[in-house]
Amino acid sequence: MNNISQRDAFWDRVYELAKRDKDIVIITADMGAPSLDKIRKELASQFINVGIAEQNAITIASGLALTGKKVFAYAIAPFITLRCLEQIRVENAIMNIPITIVGVGAGFSYKEAGPTHHLLEDVGVLRTFPNIKVHTMSDSVMASVFAEMTCNSKNTDYVRIYRQTLPTIYKNSADFSKGFNVFKKHKDTYIISSGSMVQMALDMSKKFDIGVIDLFTLPISEELLHEIKACKKIVTIEENFLPCGMGSAVLEFLNDNKIDINLKRIGISLEKGYCYKYGGIDIIRKYYGIDVNSVDRQIKNFIK
Amino acid sequence: MRKINKLISEMEVKSRQLRKKILETCIKAGTGHVTSSLSCLDIMIALYHGRILNFDPKNPNWAGRDRFILSKGQASPAYYAILADLGYFSMKELDSFAQKNGKFGVHLQKDVPGVEITSGSLGHGLGVAAGIAMAAKMNMELYLTVVLIGDGECYEGSIWETAMFASHNRLNNLIVIIDRNYLCVTDFTENLITLEPLEDKWKSFGWDVLKIDGHSFEDIFNSLKEVRSQKSIRPRVVIADTVKGKGVKSMCYNPLWHGLAPTGREAEIAMKCLEEEENE
Repeated sequence: MNNISQRDAFWDRVYELAKRDKDIVIITADMGAPSLDKIRKELASQFINVGIAEQNAITIASGLALTGKKVFAYAIAPFITLRCLEQIRVENAIMNIPITIVGVGAGFSYKEAGPTHHLLEDVGVLRTFPNIKVHTMSDSVMASVFAEMTCNSKNTDYVRIYRQTLPTIYKNSADFSKGFNVFKKHKDTYIISSGSMVQMALDMSKKFDIGVIDLFTLPISEELLHEIKACKKIVTIEENFLPCGMGSAVLEFLNDNKIDINLKRIGISLEKGYCYKYGGIDIIRKYYGIDVNSVDRQIKNFIK
Repeated sequence: MRKINKLISEMEVKSRQLRKKILETCIKAGTGHVTSSLSCLDIMIALYHGRILNFDPKNPNWAGRDRFILSKGQASPAYYAILADLGYFSMKELDSFAQKNGKFGVHLQKDVPGVEITSGSLGHGLGVAAGIAMAAKMNMELYLTVVLIGDGECYEGSIWETAMFASHNRLNNLIVIIDRNYLCVTDFTENLITLEPLEDKWKSFGWDVLKIDGHSFEDIFNSLKEVRSQKSIRPRVVIADTVKGKGVKSMCYNPLWHGLAPTGREAEIAMKCLEEEENE
């Protein structure tokens, strides 16, 4: 799946599934994709465009799902999560109506579009709700598999898709059922990362000889315990605000399991706030201190 | 005609009976939205006791049932009284309404037999109902989806998102009934933010609009007759003029009673008002 975006991989798979299953319905809040055009044309009765109306996308999706439909609700990530957060809270968390929320634009992936389109809070917000799982896509192989996994899920899933095409890091046979993947084992130091930062973590692991875990699903599976309980240091790297993010979830997980491991979170500090920086993701990451050189320096200092 | 008149007089009796039950339930609990419940009780009696809706208390999840969505979840005491009266559960369950070990709280909850959704936060029920109606269209199923919303709920932007959606998608199997009691939480709607001309608003969104007296069973019947024939391609909205606190004079036309149950002397006065109305 080289050179294919997570978005296209995801919708290509949904298209294949929807051809065989008339109960699959795709709702878009006027967000496009080449595969969606195929669905719109060939599976018109299973495709709904609600217009730029994310609250309606979630309530319509939930009404359909109440009758047994398998519904995907799709828009730009900040809008299909935070604009309609209370709809998600009532329909999907409180009532536990299962739908799949698909948001494109995790982290800084709408780089030049500015802070309205950057999304740094969604993990922190949505992981506090019962009955909702948050999945951060690391590559297009994973996105394709999650299209099928979430379609048949009994809870609400939020699939965070990166807008840019990221390097393919998984084989087609990869198993994502545990919610994390250990790329490289290590006896005492791990980098735990997700989404757009996994490739950087893999690069760092070669340089520093440390283990790498891609933690893509929150809440964290208890199985992660076996992997990390014996280690001495953990670094988490994410493209989110630090409070309540993926690194915070790891901290809580360790604390709840009474494991005392020195942990350093790398991500976006609240002090830096939002930014209007243009010219590419590297420039934005540098501003926040999560670019390769900054991360390299922080890891070096932490593990020495 | 005689048959309908008989049904109407039976519903009038039921209305008086359940008004008393609602008031007693909320007084005992010391909470509950009494006035909001009393304004839409007759509408729900017509839907259920008047058999406008298809339903089966012995099989609440019957696939062919019409879906009734009470979007103004604060009127749960009225809805629960109706469901109990129809045998979805025992009337005795209402004695512990919003109390220790009680199964029901102030706002509507999905796990109560006969209830389709949890509501309490406004502006949700119509969207969910439109999704259900859309599914019925997709599956070519004949059930109706009827949703009861408050007039104050029409301030929520999400209502208008769905209003546009429903008419565009020709959801003529979807019926909205607006409990138009002209009162919101702190004030009359027209003092607060003008809702009128409400009929024109819905018409301009592509809906068939009817305006009725929400305490006239004849009006409610007439507004929903032939609704299954789906002669119109448009969804239907029935704006039902009601009185918030209907039947309890001491609690009517006063926004301060929103969300409250009367206590002490005021509870006695309220019960007395109800009895006087009965004797009129």
